Amino acid sequence: MEYVSPIDERTSAPVPFAVRPPALTGKRVVLLDITKARGAEFLDRLEELLIARGAETFRISKELFSKPASTEVIEAVAFHGDLAVEGLAD
Amino acid sequence: MAAASDFTLPTIAGPPLALRDMLAEGPVVLVFAHADCPTSVLALRRVAAAGEGARVVGVLEDSPEDAARVARRTGFPYPVLAQPEPYDVSRAFAIETVPTAVLVQPDGSVADTVVGWDAAGYERLLGVALDGEPRLKPGCMARWTFDWHAGGLDELDDMFERGWSDGLPVVPPTSDRVEAMLGGRDPARSLGAVPPAHGEATFERVAACAVLAGCRPHYFPVVVAAVEAALDPAFNAHGIAVTTQPAGPIVVVNGPARERIGLNAGMGALGPGTRANATIGRALRLVLTLTGGARAGGLDRATLGHPGKLTCCFAENEEASPWQPLHVERGFGSETSTVTLVAGDAPLSISDHRSRTPEELAATLAWAAAGQWSPFWWPMDDTSLYVICPEHAALFAAAGWSKERVREAMFEAVQRPAEELRRGETTPLVKESPYGTMVRKWTSPERIVIVVAGGEAGRFSAVFGPCNGMQAQVVTKEVRWST
Repeated sequence: MEYVSPIDERTSAPVPFAVRPPALTGKRVVLLDITKARGAEFLDRLEELLIARGAETFRISKELFSKPASTEVIEAVAFHGDLAVEGLAD
Repeated sequence: MAAASDFTLPTIAGPPLALRDMLAEGPVVLVFAHADCPTSVLALRRVAAAGEGARVVGVLEDSPEDAARVARRTGFPYPVLAQPEPYDVSRAFAIETVPTAVLVQPDGSVADTVVGWDAAGYERLLGVALDGEPRLKPGCMARWTFDWHAGGLDELDDMFERGWSDGLPVVPPTSDRVEAMLGGRDPARSLGAVPPAHGEATFERVAACAVLAGCRPHYFPVVVAAVEAALDPAFNAHGIAVTTQPAGPIVVVNGPARERIGLNAGMGALGPGTRANATIGRALRLVLTLTGGARAGGLDRATLGHPGKLTCCFAENEEASPWQPLHVERGFGSETSTVTLVAGDAPLSISDHRSRTPEELAATLAWAAAGQWSPFWWPMDDTSLYVICPEHAALFAAAGWSKERVREAMFEAVQRPAEELRRGETTPLVKESPYGTMVRKWTSPERIVIVVAGGEAGRFSAVFGPCNGMQAQVVTKEVRWST
């Protein structure tokens, strides 16, 4: 039987993970705060640990946690970082 | 050990292959799979990632075109055979689940079988390490087991197998049904990308969802308007789709569309029992779930969800309302049909058969929302959608109260001293307010949205829970009957 699919097949293609670096020394790590409650506390502690391991950090925030990041934020993450960590939930 | 039956099947690239010819060169692992089974696709992808070396052959219960597409998508580097209906090879091997991997020895004996995705089992068969998650995933039913021509499972199960469902049976979107739903509209016309996965809502896909939901073709313009409203950035469908909150879209229909398509605004308006109400709300949900990719437990991260996320659509009982209907309040003409979307979660029923003054009734209705979002979360900067029953509306009308006055009275009624709210999940405003400061439940009366619906007897109104922190605005779109 032939059916009309409700699905846009382009959304089904898997997106592979980026290659993980072997070490953090000298890497620029962007810490993205999505502005969920207490997310900044989590990122504060993570930043301490990253710096202790030789990484450089760059902090940035989304305008609102429930909306996609703006193009400016995405571009800033790409510009300032080799890696990014997103503080996701409260 | 059981002996494998010989067979010959077409390949997706080259001449047909016979099992006996494959076995002439040594043992072979046959991987039975099909294109509509996510576990099959997973298995093919994981086997492909292990690299070439083993002697593997994919046996897909698909047309050569579909089998080639799956092979391409998964990067499957081995020969792929396309098995047509009625899937005699799967029957001969008694393959009830896909994927199933079968190790066949040169003498034709079956030496080992792995059912579903089992990384350890595949490592055993292939002699390679298969890292990564998941290690285990149940498979899907092989096609011949739901071949309706053979008296097996039917096309309704096929819909579940494809994942084209919200958990309830659906109407299969055959080409004829979708064409009827489209009613001559351009199937390729797009309403935009549906968050969170950004699948494109072409008319054809929206029509497929409307068929799946059980809509009649003349509901389609209302479904389209609902999708348009959901895709308005002001509604923030992205946030609503992926949140851990239970909220979803609440669909309110106003104007002549209500009668034209038989929407229920009266007795039992919030359900169950009316096809238009139940299926239009469901169609919108299916667009978000299937085209938009917001599957529960996938990109839809709702901790609990709620039953109204399956469908939530009703019409305003404009005839029983003493006030302007919602769409007129929002700037549309009374003879215009509209769909209004409000983000919210489950409705709370509010009984009040005792109030005799509008002040008492306004207080009852308003205090019912005092615990919304969280009992100490005051003020709430989100929409509370009230569905006022006709008897309650009549009490206000008899006292000469406008909708604005009802809203103001409700807003003023619910206040508590800040110090009583400094517990658990509370707001910065409560924390910072001096002792004795009175805090209201809402930030403004405009946060209270009122519509009238329900049967003429009974004093039960309802308030839908809010969608917090999304900046999800109420959005109204006109229903366009013509293409």
